[in-house]
Amino acid sequence: MAPPLTYFEEVSEGMELPVLAKEPITPEQLLRYAGASGDSNPLHTVEEVGRKAGFGGIIAHGMLVMGFAAEFATRTFPHQSLRSLRVRFANVTRPGEPLLVSGRVMERRPGDGAVVCGLLVRDAAGQVKLQGSFTVALPSRVQHRPT
Amino acid sequence: MADAESTGRQLPGYVFTVERERIREFVQAIGDPNPIFTDAAAARAQGYPDVVAPPTFGIAIDLCGGPGFAGLCASLSVNPLRVLHGEQEYSYLAPICPGDVITAEPRVTDVTRKEGATGTMTLFQIQTTYTNQSGRTVLVARQTVIERSPGTTETA
Repeated sequence: MAPPLTYFEEVSEGMELPVLAKEPITPEQLLRYAGASGDSNPLHTVEEVGRKAGFGGIIAHGMLVMGFAAEFATRTFPHQSLRSLRVRFANVTRPGEPLLVSGRVMERRPGDGAVVCGLLVRDAAGQVKLQGSFTVALPSRVQHRPT
Repeated sequence: MADAESTGRQLPGYVFTVERERIREFVQAIGDPNPIFTDAAAARAQGYPDVVAPPTFGIAIDLCGGPGFAGLCASLSVNPLRVLHGEQEYSYLAPICPGDVITAEPRVTDVTRKEGATGTMTLFQIQTTYTNQSGRTVLVARQTVIERSPGTTETA
């Protein structure tokens, strides 16, 4: 994995960010996420509940998929640079689906060092599970040069 | 029933103590290998006092420390079976570390109704402010919770 983009000058508008390929979600992973997050909704862990809800079985927690988006943001840029993360949940995710997170630099503001990126989480067929954006604040190399 | 009078209303707050092990289990379930969440030395090398909570950890504070999804639905007087999580946004103001005692204060900032082919949808905007034991606001969350109309059977 490439080192994080640390300085404002390393980023340009329109720049594609390295894709994050996640392993397929497993039912065991959903159980672990349910325990860790405290989300006990059986829609994510009990097949019959997922079927009755019309999903054909269990579905992933939306916030787990947002966790993938957050992983993408904080591997691409240093964690401490993250100022905000916003997502819209578009489609449900079934276990077994490998998801891809991609993103692009949308805006770069020299005034405050803010970099706004758009991101998408998609399955192998290209269906969008989540779309969102995040903002990081990056220091300038120039400011760090000894005077 | 949801009503416009609930706009601006405070929802029940909650307090949660952040544990190292909770952070570890949370990032392991996501499969995020960044060592700053699990290895204090790696986190200190990045300028943090200890391991830090990952960006979506606010949900664990809500669900482990608060009334949870069922409690939220009860507070909003909505049917959990018709509720969708539409959007989620976090603003990061300061790190959250093990031992931090976080006070969460949610309130309803907007309620809107939308008429669609399947009936009326109600959208709730909820903003939650998270403050640590030093009185510093560390995180602000904004979420959109959607209650689909009673007639709908479609799934998101």
